Amino acid sequence: MVSFTPADYSAIYLSMKVAVTATLLSLPVGFALAWLMTFRQFRGKVVLDVLINLPLTLPPVVVGYLLLLLLGQKGWIGQHLLQPLGIKLIFTWKAAVIATAVVGFPLLVRAIRIGLEGIDEGLIQASRTLGAGTFDTVMTVVLPLSFRGILAGSALMFARGLGEFGATIIVAGNMPGVTQTIPLAIYEYASSPSGDIMALALCLVSISLSVIILLFHEFLSRRLVKVD
Amino acid sequence: MKFFTTGTMAVILVLCMTVSMSMAADVNLSVAASMKDVVNVLTDNFTKKNPSVKFIKNYGASGALAKQIENGAPADIFISANMEWMDYLKNKKLMDNQSIGTFAYNELVFVGKPGLKVKSLRDLAKLERIAIGSPKSVPAGEYAMAALKKAGVDKGLDKKLVMARDVRECLMYAERGEVDGAFVYKTDALEQARTVAILFTVPQELYPRVTYPKGLTATGSKNESAASFFRFLNSTETKSVLVKKGFAVK
Repeated sequence: MVSFTPADYSAIYLSMKVAVTATLLSLPVGFALAWLMTFRQFRGKVVLDVLINLPLTLPPVVVGYLLLLLLGQKGWIGQHLLQPLGIKLIFTWKAAVIATAVVGFPLLVRAIRIGLEGIDEGLIQASRTLGAGTFDTVMTVVLPLSFRGILAGSALMFARGLGEFGATIIVAGNMPGVTQTIPLAIYEYASSPSGDIMALALCLVSISLSVIILLFHEFLSRRLVKVD
Repeated sequence: MKFFTTGTMAVILVLCMTVSMSMAADVNLSVAASMKDVVNVLTDNFTKKNPSVKFIKNYGASGALAKQIENGAPADIFISANMEWMDYLKNKKLMDNQSIGTFAYNELVFVGKPGLKVKSLRDLAKLERIAIGSPKSVPAGEYAMAALKKAGVDKGLDKKLVMARDVRECLMYAERGEVDGAFVYKTDALEQARTVAILFTVPQELYPRVTYPKGLTATGSKNESAASFFRFLNSTETKSVLVKKGFAVK
């Protein structure tokens, strides 16, 4: 029987914690941007669209490396903004959250946009003619009607966050009990001749989590189609 | 038709010859990351005298290399940074046992920003982040962990250790200033360190002596070029390169 070490348990816990935090932090921004992209016309919309979706196609290592150059001890933001404030991000779990948030963000925005596009424009206009302001309309009409899309996007982003490796290993490093998530623990076991069984056991945990989330996402998507 | 068959035969023959020729001249090296500079110099020197030999080099953590070889990665010569991973391959019958011998010795040091007041393992408790090779596959990390345990300071450092993929990554973390210090070999610190300096040498009585075994793999023993380069690794020329780079040979 396989027995996980305390560091392995904390890797599982940390994966969840990082993915949940990244998703929650991204939700307000993601919703705002999705709303902007769906209902507003403005200059540079295409540029913004590309920027939002870029992490989807960019190798995560590129994201991680750029973040390191920005936030590191010798990086622009790191040296001039974070250091004077006494904030250290690199090699902390917060860095893992930032990396995960950047990489998973496009998935969130895409799903919310699909949810928003499904809303009957007439309902929004009706709310406006009845005297509701933009903010009121968003809170009372748009948000409730796109709730499933938001949930589906969050599930996808959470799942992506659980698997984040490339960007995380660069900015958060591999610190057992501090920044080591499931993929990082698997990576460490996989490069050790005696680590196969433990690597496989953690793979199993990873697969189970992914299957559960994907089933949940599938269930949501079906409901979404039915509502439409 | 007849012309076609002879033509095809000729093409196949030429293809076979070029393939077998290139196979014979290729030497696959799997070498501990800390030996990178030395082996680069040695292969350069060797190809000057034997221009037909082509080296394919694979540098990394010794444990990771051992696992790659076990899984069928092409390797003719394996140089490990500890006995453990050499013995591991020996037990799997993947090495040519007679060829295995000691290549060199090294020492463990702790590097960090110059001026940092860290003079011994006990002082490490003052630091926030320390890079160490992952003890699961990086010998430098195993030696460091052994020393920390023997000195009785490992418990307090639990959540401060950044696990590096190999000893060179360890040094890079320290160079970039993302960690306060790192456990590396003396040779890495002497050759590669630019912004960091050796703060102290880890006392030898705390860990087994860093020993690099070298050996031909089972496939490598049948490779003429590999065997010839392996003999070159035993030469006095090789020894002088090792010494020049800071390794001990006795």
